[in-house]
Amino acid sequence: MKRRVIAAGCIAMSIGLTATACGGDDGGDGGKATDGKGKTLTVWIMEGTNPDARPFFKEAGDAFEKKTGAKIKVEYQQWATAQKKFTTAIEGGAEQVPDVAEVGTTWVPQFAETDALVDVTDDVKKSGLGDDLVEGLKDAGTLDGKQYGMPWYAGVRSVVYRKDLFEKHDLKPPTTWKELQATAKTLKEKEPDKVAFPVAGGAEMFAAPFVWGAGGELATESGGKWKSGINSPEALKGIEFYTGLATKDKVSPAKVNTWTEKEVGDAWNKGEISMAIGGNWTPKAIVDANPDLKGKLGAVPIPGENGGMSKSFLGGSYLSTFNTDKKELAWEFVKMLTTGDFAAKWAEQTNYFPGQNSELKKIAAKKDPLVEPFAKQMLEAGATVPKTKAYGEIQASKVIPGMVQSILTGKASVKEAADKAAKDMDAIFAKDK
Amino acid sequence: MSEVEFGTVKDATVVTDTLVAGGPEETPARRGPLKQDTGGAEAARRRKNLINLTRPWLLLAPSLVVLAGLLLWPLIQVGKLSLQDYAVKFGGGVGTYTGFDHYSDLLSSSLLWKTVLPNTVFFALACVGLTVALGTLVALLLNRLGATWRLICSIAILAAWAMPAVTGTYVWIWLFQPQDGMVSQIAGSIGLIDPETTNWFTERGPFYAIATLNVIHHGFPFVAITVLAGLMTIPKELYEAGELDGANAWQRFWNITVPTIKPVFLVVTILSTIWDFKVFTQIYLQPGGDGSNEEVYNLGVFSYIQAFAKNDYGAGAAAAVLLTLLLLLITIVYIRTLFRQGEEDL
Repeated sequence: MKRRVIAAGCIAMSIGLTATACGGDDGGDGGKATDGKGKTLTVWIMEGTNPDARPFFKEAGDAFEKKTGAKIKVEYQQWATAQKKFTTAIEGGAEQVPDVAEVGTTWVPQFAETDALVDVTDDVKKSGLGDDLVEGLKDAGTLDGKQYGMPWYAGVRSVVYRKDLFEKHDLKPPTTWKELQATAKTLKEKEPDKVAFPVAGGAEMFAAPFVWGAGGELATESGGKWKSGINSPEALKGIEFYTGLATKDKVSPAKVNTWTEKEVGDAWNKGEISMAIGGNWTPKAIVDANPDLKGKLGAVPIPGENGGMSKSFLGGSYLSTFNTDKKELAWEFVKMLTTGDFAAKWAEQTNYFPGQNSELKKIAAKKDPLVEPFAKQMLEAGATVPKTKAYGEIQASKVIPGMVQSILTGKASVKEAADKAAKDMDAIFAKDK
Repeated sequence: MSEVEFGTVKDATVVTDTLVAGGPEETPARRGPLKQDTGGAEAARRRKNLINLTRPWLLLAPSLVVLAGLLLWPLIQVGKLSLQDYAVKFGGGVGTYTGFDHYSDLLSSSLLWKTVLPNTVFFALACVGLTVALGTLVALLLNRLGATWRLICSIAILAAWAMPAVTGTYVWIWLFQPQDGMVSQIAGSIGLIDPETTNWFTERGPFYAIATLNVIHHGFPFVAITVLAGLMTIPKELYEAGELDGANAWQRFWNITVPTIKPVFLVVTILSTIWDFKVFTQIYLQPGGDGSNEEVYNLGVFSYIQAFAKNDYGAGAAAAVLLTLLLLLITIVYIRTLFRQGEEDL
């Protein structure tokens, strides 16, 4: 079966590509790996981050060919299905994986564990890039001191709100949880047709900031073993506040109970939201879809319980190299994309933040009111989810959304739901050791 | 005289046999020895038996090979996987045999007995019953329509059938979308529900009611078309005779239509049962059906979550094997019923 898959892969590859076909290169001149004449790198890039990534990669490909003589072939992947596609390719081995790929930070532990990713710690050091990397993002792709790729871009969620409605009703952006609650209640009262603050049952990253903001953790590690922290007293307080916005304060109607971030985005586009947790990439997407909202959006970091900020998930993508026979050449391409001009250009086109402090500071310095709050959140209050393959499985089996939904629908109390979630999480941690 | 007769009879059988088997060139060779000595006849009969025995298998071989490659091999692999803990590795995963651990875990989980199996079974029963009933009613209607209207109605029905499950499911989700969907708005405007606080997708009953509507809508055209084909084979005389005897429409249906096309009903019922037991798309795509609401798991979704969300391929495979065994059981009952039916007819 395995052999058949590989054979099928070979056929597919030799049809699709020219130089990367199985056994195409003998790789004899190992010393001059960066001389890529006649070679082609396969690159997997996620669709949708950059509204139109083709011109960008055309330019990058030309520049890379000028530099090394090697061509690149970009294959665009869908976020929804990419993880399974990667898993299948990894099973197939070196012939089926791409040479370079954009890898979501939460996937890094899973892929690294299969030995598919190249540990580039030394290469990063040698190139002198290590010190400039945004700490939270560098940390997300580093396991046991080994870094599996270069941080490429990152995003973070803060609070996005309707500036025009705030002005109309004389509201200020909230800076504490109490203010957030009061603001949402006022919005609900004054704008009854809109969702004042969606407590979206299917959006894990809407709930997590409140767990972190109350001083809780999703899970903690000690002695190499992970244990859920979702039912700790601190976490319970955060969950209680967040779900209470819907169950007690009624600022989020029942339809939102099953919403994911996609449905929240759709509702923004229809102008049905007053204030919500939203990513740094959302304001532009909303205005693109609904030009009426141009100039009417504002952003503010997620408030802390009593001031300051609640931490928010710092997610992003790595450019990682896979264990193929062209990994040195692949690393050259990664370096080119994640530093300097190309990194800046990508950040500008995608509205995401670059993975380097120097580039990020340049963006923060522009003082764009729809960028600065996110940059502040990212630099000062970014958090990562537990760095283990098991957490990826916990996310995929929707443990946190399940917990939030059962509270929202009144099937379980906060404590019962959190205890059950903790039990489910611990079962998955235990399975993966 | 009698011997001659015996010989002719025997010859005749040989001829028909070879004709059936399709090998006329063998006839002269066989006829020769048969007349000469009984030893040769014995050998010929044995050879004939051998040919009769192997020929069907030879003819079946190509399709059996294809079926084995496409169905049996994956089935064996799933069975193997269900006995392993499987870890994905670069260039090929590693499986460690764990015996029947996955099965004992599965069968001792209260989630399976309290949620997954009841959801699967009751949902399938409701879907099958309603699909067959609606399909039959539509078939009866089509049977009575004139050519033009029958064509128009058939096209409308086939459109429902041809719709991909994903597309159809989204349409049903939109209809029942809390607060914004058409059904929600109508129910809200006549005061049945408070749209602000009603979300049908978070409760097990309404969730499955919507899924049932969706599956029936997608499944009844097959039943309607198949039953219609059956209806058209029933001779008109039977109904005329019934009418003369004073049977009303209801009696004619139960005493003429149903017994005459009973095999058709059997086929559509069993096929629907198999399909409705393994429904996945319609459940998984509904809000909350993708794993965040454990209450609405069915066997398909459960198996998927185990295998592809928790990466516990072994446990997922065990659930899939369980589903296969369930369906196998139903199929065996079906085949036995069919055979019994055949014996009765003889």
